[in-house]
Amino acid sequence: MNLTLYIAVTLYALGTLTVLAGLYNRSIRLQRIALVFMCGGFVVQTVWIGMVCSATDHPPLTNLPEIAAFIAWLIFAVELFLFIRYKVHAAAFFVYPLILMLMTITVVVRAPFAPADPALDSNLFVGHLLLSTVGIASLLIGLAFFVLYRFQERSLKSKHQGRLFEWIPSLQVCELVSYRALAIGFGIYTAGLIAGFLWSYRTHIGTYDLRTKEIAAVVAWVLFAALLQSYNSGTLSTKKNLVISAAAFVSILIAVLGVQHV
Amino acid sequence: MSLILVGLNHNTAPVEVRERLSVNPSREGEIISGLTGLPGVLGASVLSTCNRVETILSSESEESIEPVVQMIVSRSGMNRVDVERHLYVLRNGDVVRHLFRVASGLDSMILGEPQIGGQVRESYHRSRELDATDPILRQLFDAALRVAKRVRTDTGIGEHAVSVPYAAVELARKIFGNLDGLNVLLVGAGEIGELTAQHLNGHGLRRVFVANRAHERAIELAERFHGEAINFESMEERLRSCEIVIVSTAAPHFLVRPEHVRAALAERRRGSLFLIDLSVPRNIDPAISAIEGAFLYNIDDLREVADKNREKREQKAVSAEEIIDREVDGFMRRLASHDAVPTILELQGKLDEIRKVELEKCLRRVGPITTEQQQAIEILSTSIINKVLHYPIIRLKETAAADQPEERESIRQQIRRIFGL
Repeated sequence: MNLTLYIAVTLYALGTLTVLAGLYNRSIRLQRIALVFMCGGFVVQTVWIGMVCSATDHPPLTNLPEIAAFIAWLIFAVELFLFIRYKVHAAAFFVYPLILMLMTITVVVRAPFAPADPALDSNLFVGHLLLSTVGIASLLIGLAFFVLYRFQERSLKSKHQGRLFEWIPSLQVCELVSYRALAIGFGIYTAGLIAGFLWSYRTHIGTYDLRTKEIAAVVAWVLFAALLQSYNSGTLSTKKNLVISAAAFVSILIAVLGVQHV
Repeated sequence: MSLILVGLNHNTAPVEVRERLSVNPSREGEIISGLTGLPGVLGASVLSTCNRVETILSSESEESIEPVVQMIVSRSGMNRVDVERHLYVLRNGDVVRHLFRVASGLDSMILGEPQIGGQVRESYHRSRELDATDPILRQLFDAALRVAKRVRTDTGIGEHAVSVPYAAVELARKIFGNLDGLNVLLVGAGEIGELTAQHLNGHGLRRVFVANRAHERAIELAERFHGEAINFESMEERLRSCEIVIVSTAAPHFLVRPEHVRAALAERRRGSLFLIDLSVPRNIDPAISAIEGAFLYNIDDLREVADKNREKREQKAVSAEEIIDREVDGFMRRLASHDAVPTILELQGKLDEIRKVELEKCLRRVGPITTEQQQAIEILSTSIINKVLHYPIIRLKETAAADQPEERESIRQQIRRIFGL
């Protein structure tokens, strides 16, 4: 099982290095090669997820390495969809390193892929995990495109076309993808949080056990809500929103890194 | 077998000469038939664009050059010396390299322009339709089109706009993505402004509004864009429903001011406004640049974008030339290996003839045998011939693909002498 994971991480690492080299050389060919590596990693990781599922009899969402790997897998799936739909090259420079980072967490944190605690055998809990994970992946994609939007807007305003200018899609596409990913991700993430609260409330018989992870998850929710509000009010291009998005990213990472259910 | 190219282009001949020799598509068939009717010519194609007129031939020898030059001179109606001054004659590898560069846009007036690839394809297809191509010419054009595609894909040489109007279109697409359904306001009737609006209009705009001090001119321009002429005074109001504003007037003051843009943007919750100021002195207040959602470019900004893009194309041309070097090398090797084919076929034919004669003699001496036995003897004899021929054929192919023509010819002659071909 570990060998499959290592192969996937190696392919993701090659993809990330190649895409960064492509950024340096401005080479379209290198970007394509990077995509091939990443697709290879995605396929191998899909096999690995299947193996984890069959070995543990539960979705691969019960501990940090599994969650990190699953989010990475989802992010790439969304990235692939966006690449096919919008031919977006530039998002790769943010998304591939993010995927590699999440996969590195999976490899470095050697938690056993053990069967889940029987106390966690609840539909509400599984729903919480699935919805939160999918929501987080979507929110991270939304953040990546928000950053691309700001890059492109800055290039157009300053009339200085940087290395990424030609690869970043139009402002409209960046805004559309970012808004949709954030809006959809926010809805799913909210449902995941509610499911988590309900499950926690039932498990702990009417009391909440608020740890760093839970607090970070709620803080991230508030920050993403603020970011979405900026979209709706048409005040997206402010420095305040860059700070909010950075804080939201950190909060979501803290929430993910705190996962430990086994 | 020779590849020959005789022609002139924008670097060697002025437009007065090029226009005399440019080939009308309706007369192309007649000219190609004339070329293929020349002694020794196996295939011909004519590439005629506004920047070049070139005749590409596949011929048995270089003796075809002189009649082609004579044809060109007689078509030009000029004296020979005057035409020859502008002509270039290329042979074999130089033809291959030239056609690869032309098809890739590296020999164009605007480096990397994409239209030439389509023009090369059309010229090739017309020759094919007229049955005027031989296998070598077909290989050459197929390779040129493939190389052009590779150059464009691998280097992206044609991706950047190198003129002011195209730079404006490129920037508009970077802001709005698809220009479908956008409204454009053209203020003034300056030439570059009109040209920019024309380029934008080719991208599916919803409506072009034209405002000009002389309303008749506004009506005339609006008709050209299937747009709407508006009063110059209502420009500010119209600004609110437009996403792109092009200003190109001779007014000595600002016509578009920050409060106009703020009001226009306030009416849309999300969205941008792209302002193009092509006037000198400027007609759009530069303070507008600071407004969120407004993107202001003046004529110098657009020129700078076009100049930088030209530099990018020049950088990419270096990689493109490297690709072409490799492709020319590969093509010439393949072409050279074709030279060995007649000798190989002759060799195989000669030994097979010997085999058949000897086999017949043998079968007569042996007397009646079964069909299976006869087949076994035939297989044995064929197999011996193939084994004997294996190394000579390999050697012929190797030397044909190698770079030394003397060695290639020497080996071929030796094999021909040894086997009595």
